[in-house]
Amino acid sequence: MKGLVIWVRGATGAREAVLDELGNEIMERGGRVEVFHSEAAGSLGIESDERAKAAACAMLARHGVVVLAGSDGPCAASGGELIEIRETDLTELSGDLAHGSFIRRLELAGLVPPPRHDVSPDEEKIILERLRDLGYLD
Amino acid sequence: MLVAPHGGRLTDRQVEGEEASRLLEELRDLPRLTLNARERNDLEMIGNGAMSPLEGFLCGPDYRSVVDLMHLTSGPVWPLPVVLSAKDGDPSVPAGMRAALVDECGTIWGDIEVEDVFRADLTDEAAKTLGTTDETHPGVRYLGTLSGTYVGGRIRSIRRRELEEFPQYRLDPKETRVLFRARGWKTVVAFQTRNPIHRAHEYIQKCAMEIVDGLLLHPLVGETKEGDTPADVRMRCYEVLLDGYYPSTRVVMSVFPAAMRYAGPREAIFHALLRKNYGCSHFIVGRDHAGVGSFYGTYDAQLLFDTFDPEELGIVPLKFENSFYCTRCGGMATSKTCAHDAEHRVFLAGTKVRAMLRDGMLPPAEFTRPEIARILMDAERGEGR
Repeated sequence: MKGLVIWVRGATGAREAVLDELGNEIMERGGRVEVFHSEAAGSLGIESDERAKAAACAMLARHGVVVLAGSDGPCAASGGELIEIRETDLTELSGDLAHGSFIRRLELAGLVPPPRHDVSPDEEKIILERLRDLGYLD
Repeated sequence: MLVAPHGGRLTDRQVEGEEASRLLEELRDLPRLTLNARERNDLEMIGNGAMSPLEGFLCGPDYRSVVDLMHLTSGPVWPLPVVLSAKDGDPSVPAGMRAALVDECGTIWGDIEVEDVFRADLTDEAAKTLGTTDETHPGVRYLGTLSGTYVGGRIRSIRRRELEEFPQYRLDPKETRVLFRARGWKTVVAFQTRNPIHRAHEYIQKCAMEIVDGLLLHPLVGETKEGDTPADVRMRCYEVLLDGYYPSTRVVMSVFPAAMRYAGPREAIFHALLRKNYGCSHFIVGRDHAGVGSFYGTYDAQLLFDTFDPEELGIVPLKFENSFYCTRCGGMATSKTCAHDAEHRVFLAGTKVRAMLRDGMLPPAEFTRPEIARILMDAERGEGR
């Protein structure tokens, strides 16, 4: 997977929760992901410096990491040739359906890995039972 | 680990059980769009993930990209349009609205969130996807029955097991994948068929089985053209053949509920990609795969595979020559492995075989197993059905 910075615009509080959700989803799929929280920017002393935040995110992305970061305004920073920068709006990511379809778009573009399993463990149990009933398995 | 589905993951647009009952209630008062037999088959296969990454009938941009470039706009290879045609007498449902999807008897099979309603040039579609505009081609004739307006959008498909044919053989892609894993298979070869299996097909399947963990015998049971052997007859042949001549631990038979398009080379790619979604790593491509009459060259389908990057296909085509029994070799062979003349090769054309069966004559055992020939003979003579 190549590196990627995803900038999410919108109100700070709700935005951090969405960033965490997306980060967990990508991590569960085995993707290399870093959520660049406002706390992280704060501890680096760059919370109000958009250009410095962008540079830090770009450095991570250059090493094949999907970086999720929040911004209040348009993020004009360049991340370099190898890094794809996407901007999206918080409202686009609210709700399960939108969240799922956003991840799916990234997945189809080869930017995040697909889910590790075709079916959940519970569904797998039901399928195995059906396969036994039909005589496909002993 | 099994091969990844096309586009990365299996889509799931199928509802069943209580969720399906609730959806059916919701859909009763919505405008209804009618599905023809092919579209009904397609709806089922989009729903169960066999057509991953599709989540619905194609919208205009994807339709044009598929017809012209054999790719979806999002990138994956996709060789044939999967579309819903607007029918005379159906209501006009604009983009942004939802509609129930019903068959010609009015049975509800799902719904669509309409995203696009667009006009298509069906002559162009025929020329590019079928390679001909000749009306004797069944695919061209099919297009001639359509209005030229397509309705695109995401669907949900309602699982109605009580109405399905061959329920004991109906496995969705996620089910075959669980089955293959449970059997410990990592590599699986798929064999697509819409014909009875003669010794020639048996031979190439068994050649393929030598290099993989298992075989998925995947007969197509969706709509076919008049004159093809009916699916129920074929299924009886397959059952008898598997019972008598294949190791049960290395074969899975399940039905493939797709309609035939007779699109030759493009349909061969289509068949392969769909089998990848079922968890197959290899796909047998014989002579004139999915062809009809003399519309396609013997090796056109095999050659089309070579025009794609193997990684973007993600399934390995196993290309086979025509096989036959050679009386000098004393076994099955192909022109790649047999040096003898045609006079030593037992090969019969389909029309001749059917004539023999109608007259009560069994074809040679080197051509067809006698148990299979008897089932076909009964069917040809209208017995045993």
